[in-house]
Amino acid sequence: MPIRVRLDRILLERRMSLTELADRVGVTIANLSILKTGKARAIRFSTLEALCRELDCQPGELLAFEPGPPDDDLEDDEG
Amino acid sequence: MRALGPGSVSSFLKIILDVVYVALWIGAGVTAILALGSLVFDIDPALFGRQLTVRIDASGLPRQLLTTDLFAVTAYAIGVLIIVDRLRRIFSTLTAGDPFHPDNVRRLRVVGVMLAALELGRYPVVAVTLWLAPKADVSQSGVNLTAWFAVLVVFVLAEVFREGARLRREAELTI
Repeated sequence: MPIRVRLDRILLERRMSLTELADRVGVTIANLSILKTGKARAIRFSTLEALCRELDCQPGELLAFEPGPPDDDLEDDEG
Repeated sequence: MRALGPGSVSSFLKIILDVVYVALWIGAGVTAILALGSLVFDIDPALFGRQLTVRIDASGLPRQLLTTDLFAVTAYAIGVLIIVDRLRRIFSTLTAGDPFHPDNVRRLRVVGVMLAALELGRYPVVAVTLWLAPKADVSQSGVNLTAWFAVLVVFVLAEVFREGARLRREAELTI
């Protein structure tokens, strides 16, 4: 996925843990981990809004486009 | 009528599948024993009356035909058993609330392949029957279009499930 979620860097800058962010945003740690590790396929506007609100940032700071290989077919993810 | 739970269509279908599954195990077991027995012992075909796949006077059946028929019936029962087994597994995912599980695509394809195999397997059995007993009145000796249509339907449904599984996976990974 050429879209990267820069959650790691922003969390470090804000000195906030993933657990704390999960509590504030109302998203499970498991789902935030999926987002952080770049395994997520999509992000809801409501999640993005909550993340931006709690991290005091713009969506553009959270997401970045890094040219890479085309998106893998979802079926390949099944293993 | 409810879709899931007691008194629902699915619970009714589940009971039917379970009963058919057990009946097929018993049927396949009995015919397999009889088929093997017909190789060793001289079983009188008249014992089976007119219940075999060929509608001729059973007492006039050649012994090889009886053995062929018994093995064919056993193979047929095993084929249907595989289909029912996959349907039961698909049903278990439905009752678990996850019908678009990726494994169901493979299961539906197995059902389609088995339906095709059962229809293809019928042709040599009919040919052998007519060869051993030329006067036999074999029901549906030609190509069964309904069977091939069923195969087509199952493969189309498998593709629908594949897309359903993809959407499910996408929804799972939407945060």
